[in-house]
Amino acid sequence: MGISRRSLFGAGAGALAAPALLSGCGSASASGRKELVFWQFYAPTPVGGSPDVVKQSQWFTKMVDDWNATHETRIRLEYVTVLGNPKLATAFAAGEGPDIFLLSPGDFARYYNGGVLAELTPYMEPEAVKDFFAPNMATRTADGKVYGLPMEIEPLAMFYSEPALTKAHLAESDLPRTWDEFLDFGDKLKSRKAPPIMLPSQQGYYQNFTWYPFLWQTGADAVRGNTSGFDSAGAKAALKLWQDCIQSGITPRTSPVPDNDAVAALGNGYGSVSLNGIWTVSAFKYRKPKFRYGVFPLPIPAGGTPKTALGGWAFVANARGRDPETAAKFCVWALGSMAKDSIQRVVDWCTVAKSDIAPRASALAAGRRAGGYDHPVMKQFADDIFPTGRGEPRYPPVVYKAISDAIQQCEFSGADPAAQAKLAGDTIDAYLTSYRGVKIL
Amino acid sequence: MTDLAVSERAASEPRAARGGRRLSRRSRERIAAGLFLAPDVLGLALFVGLPMVVCIVLGFFQVDGFGGYTFIGLDNYRRMFADPLFLGSLKTTLLYLVVLIPGLFVVSLALALLIRQRFPLVGLFRGAFFAPNVISLVVIGLIWKFMLTDQTGFMVRLLGFFHIPSPSWLGSPHIALWVVVAVTIWFAMGYYMLIFLAGLQDIPREYYEVATIDGAGVWQQFRHITWPLLKPTSFFILLTSTVSMFTGGIDLLYVMTSGGPANSTSLIIYYIYEQAFVYGEYGYASAIGAFVVAILLVWSIGLFTLTRGGRFNDARD
Repeated sequence: MGISRRSLFGAGAGALAAPALLSGCGSASASGRKELVFWQFYAPTPVGGSPDVVKQSQWFTKMVDDWNATHETRIRLEYVTVLGNPKLATAFAAGEGPDIFLLSPGDFARYYNGGVLAELTPYMEPEAVKDFFAPNMATRTADGKVYGLPMEIEPLAMFYSEPALTKAHLAESDLPRTWDEFLDFGDKLKSRKAPPIMLPSQQGYYQNFTWYPFLWQTGADAVRGNTSGFDSAGAKAALKLWQDCIQSGITPRTSPVPDNDAVAALGNGYGSVSLNGIWTVSAFKYRKPKFRYGVFPLPIPAGGTPKTALGGWAFVANARGRDPETAAKFCVWALGSMAKDSIQRVVDWCTVAKSDIAPRASALAAGRRAGGYDHPVMKQFADDIFPTGRGEPRYPPVVYKAISDAIQQCEFSGADPAAQAKLAGDTIDAYLTSYRGVKIL
Repeated sequence: MTDLAVSERAASEPRAARGGRRLSRRSRERIAAGLFLAPDVLGLALFVGLPMVVCIVLGFFQVDGFGGYTFIGLDNYRRMFADPLFLGSLKTTLLYLVVLIPGLFVVSLALALLIRQRFPLVGLFRGAFFAPNVISLVVIGLIWKFMLTDQTGFMVRLLGFFHIPSPSWLGSPHIALWVVVAVTIWFAMGYYMLIFLAGLQDIPREYYEVATIDGAGVWQQFRHITWPLLKPTSFFILLTSTVSMFTGGIDLLYVMTSGGPANSTSLIIYYIYEQAFVYGEYGYASAIGAFVVAILLVWSIGLFTLTRGGRFNDARD
């Protein structure tokens, strides 16, 4: 029997349309159970993932398998590249946001103000709410209600390469404690032809995140209540510090390794010191286990207070998703319940799959008992660095951009820090007069 | 009566016998033309026309990216002209285009003139010059970024080998934009070279032969034969390269510089992207997009008018 041209075209059109139609029917799984989608950047593991990535992917997969085995509504993991990227924004703009996703504090204000974050408090025991560390939890709450559950706390510190220091004839006692010592230390590295100090140089949320502690150490802040505190001596000093690092050549203008990867930078001899997060410990453990490195707290200005920024991502549920209640319950079940499994899951994530400070007191205690913080560097983070931490701010984009431009102009264009601090302060002030939304922290 | 006419008539007879009305040849041609054009017109209307209309409309709204639309009239446009970052971005874009478009034009034309010649391995050169054009811009951006990065980049090592200090190619606001221009010329030149080559091959060889007999040199031949006869092609290249360079290349910028350092490579297209997808300012980004369309329309209309639609002096002939 011959196939007519019309039927051939019809079949072709059907074949082309099928994937599009099927992709629009994501609310039911093949088994007929309701399905919610969880966007994150860990699982399923991309092909060729490094050992630490595989561990993290396994944690996510196990968590979802455990849920799916005991609940009627299934969760499906969908890998997306680092969230905060256009994919998430576009999905929400099109009314197709995922049911559950990971959110950083930097994006919290936008998504909360957009009304897409489901409240999690109704599904949490009060004891569990208190179990989360308050300084870190503050940027995930609004009016005392919880909208995101952190899966980790990631303080920043300076990682250094022992071989590089040895080669430059520098000892641990030479590690800098103050900004002046830091600049001297950089000069010594430079003059002894040692690899430089790596500070994030690419404009973006991450660069701001790593710069904020230097601002806070001076006692200054970007936003104080309803006004900007940015036009301050502290902001000028912090801008000047990073400017000096670049202009004097003790830190490179562009990173020789992608994504400020400390393992690649220190491990391959491109850097002696790298401003980086606690996650670097597990990255070393899985990728370069024999490499000798150490950490020291971020140097402080004369008379300043030790401060670091506490980063990390949180599970959030889409209030406009297919089933916000179940999505919220999943977040709480996974990370925020007082059940033993929930606490253990946090411990496993923070001490096995990754190397983070557990965001819950119970999980941190359990992690310590299990030896998760026995490694000298992890111990230093947990005992010395974490207590000096402040949660990553949830500044709206305009505030972030004003600060970011000030940092960049000072670093790369040699702009006057005082003028840049004033410009950014004025921009923030102008914005705050018309800002309506969640309290800026 | 010709055989063809007889067969056409024979073919139409059964339909006439059934009472059907036969369409005239002109009508059938119109229908055929319409059917051939329909996919393109539909595609343009759906994927270019409609987004343009939506973009213009969104420019009058504050869009929060979560389904909230507030009509704000011309506020986005007022904000645009008071926004130093937008104005800086516009200035950077104009500077970029003023250097890039002539640079691209000259390099592409020079390459086309070169590969038009007959010499050994000319095919290899043609392929090599066009090769960057078939590579993804993301890959191109990554490769150049690795080549130009501080400390470890190929350029740094190469210059270091000759004891020449290397600048920070992508880390200096005074250099980064020109690096982007150079890389853009490098990847786009093959495409425009081919178009120039097609234009050159349309020029009859006899003209050059006569000019040679008359004693015209290479420069005179170029000036009096190639250049005038290449004007329609030049017009096309000038128009399309300006539009595509104004509105394209965001992938390269994203990978190589992310608009930095210190906004020195924040071209207007990158600024639109940033406003829409990083800050969620869809309304504002749309207003800037509409403004860019207006600039390009003015540019295109101006170019068409000045060159009489790319025919230049045809009207006088």
